[in-house]
Amino acid sequence: MTLELLLLILVIGTAIAFDFTNGFHDTGNAMATSIATGALKPKAAVALSAVLNLVGAFLSVEVALTVTNAVIRIQDSSGAPKSEFLANNGHALLMIVFCGLIGGILWNLLTWLLGLPSSSSHALFGGLIGSTLAALGLGGVNWMGDGSKLDGVFGKVILPAFASPVVAALVATIGTWLVYRITAGVATRYAEGGFRWGQIGTASLVSLAHGTNDAQKTMGVITLALIAYGTWTDTTSVPLWVKVVCALAIAAGTYTGGWRIIRTLGKGLVEISSPQGMAAEASSAAVILTSSHLGFALSTTHVATGSILGSGLGRKGADVRWGVALRMVLAWFITLPAAGLVGAACYFVGNGIGGYAGVLIVFAALVGLTGWMMLHSRRTAVHAGNVNADWHPEATPGASVAPVPVPVKA
Amino acid sequence: MFQLFGNALGQVVVISVLVGAGLPALFAFGVRALALGSGGAAEVDHRPGRPALTVVAYLCFALVLAVIAAGITIIVSSGLGYHVSFDNVIPTFAKK
Repeated sequence: MTLELLLLILVIGTAIAFDFTNGFHDTGNAMATSIATGALKPKAAVALSAVLNLVGAFLSVEVALTVTNAVIRIQDSSGAPKSEFLANNGHALLMIVFCGLIGGILWNLLTWLLGLPSSSSHALFGGLIGSTLAALGLGGVNWMGDGSKLDGVFGKVILPAFASPVVAALVATIGTWLVYRITAGVATRYAEGGFRWGQIGTASLVSLAHGTNDAQKTMGVITLALIAYGTWTDTTSVPLWVKVVCALAIAAGTYTGGWRIIRTLGKGLVEISSPQGMAAEASSAAVILTSSHLGFALSTTHVATGSILGSGLGRKGADVRWGVALRMVLAWFITLPAAGLVGAACYFVGNGIGGYAGVLIVFAALVGLTGWMMLHSRRTAVHAGNVNADWHPEATPGASVAPVPVPVKA
Repeated sequence: MFQLFGNALGQVVVISVLVGAGLPALFAFGVRALALGSGGAAEVDHRPGRPALTVVAYLCFALVLAVIAAGITIIVSSGLGYHVSFDNVIPTFAKK
């Protein structure tokens, strides 16, 4: 096997693994509120979300081949790799993408272990920016675009990241406030029952939108690698098997349910009731759909978190746990640079050692760290059975990180 | 860059507030009308039901469903490479 074929196989494998982490990292964005209010049983919620992500991933025939163009300069505007990366079956490009993906996966896993909902797209972009900086220097990164439209790291990643949670929180605050005003006088149990249905409907919309957006990114990355290696030439379509595998990976990830993150979003941030849940999901769906309709890139995670926070602000007497919110915001700030550091480190190690050894050592590091984090997560396992357990941040320091399994409350 | 961003953001805010807060509000009107329609235990005051309001409730829910259907239409059509316009209320499709 040539070195480049090995790299190609590893790129495809890590891309699929990234897609899987993308799925379970983001289940909570759509389903955390429905699980927390009991509108859906935990298993039913993740199953519904998985199916909608699967359908969503197949719905899109548009090719997201230019996905990396938002942040780095390794492709031209048609999506084809730039010619300087094509030597040796695209070795240079494959190496950059491989290291970038590792940065994305490791950051996704670490934030999952800490129960923090951070953006998977930021993790992917951060990893790619890091490995590109290591490989090509500052000039390889698309910081601002050419100024004619919102582009580059600032226009497509950083500015929207500041704005989207605020917008979502505003919308959810207004929505929640209106809902409680309008339903004043309706018996609480009656209203709760009604809003559960609304909640399921709007949460489903968020899941579907997630499938159409996020699975595309991995499909684009794998197709880019195939083109760079030389086994695929069409820049207007994605190979069918890539589409099928990516759709299945994101759906399987979603079904696995990132319970730690679901718990933080559903129980940690705000004690949520079903009218708040519906207001939050309606806000998320509206912000995500409006933005993607207007070509404004944002992260589902930032929107969902902002919406849940807003649903706490809009209800009189509801507690918002600002400590939890602060930890999340800190995680968002460091997602891009942290994933970038891992991406860059992988590139320096892999390229510095060079050859088969370099590539395999980087891959071994990925497998090793993944295994370590999986084992570590077992100590304080969160699963469908204890995801809704009461939140006791004061009882044990750091419990918001590692919820203590307590008997399920019906 | 900042001006472009401001413009895009402004649009997102206006439409999101209208749809994202309006939809739950509409649903809330439905729930309230349904509660008043059936009366009794559904309400804090336990007044007798007014069945006419039940019809209003179902109208509200139908509108909510229509908005959700519009949302699905946007997702599906943009996935298939079409741009949906709601300028004339009735959705119109154009190839991107």
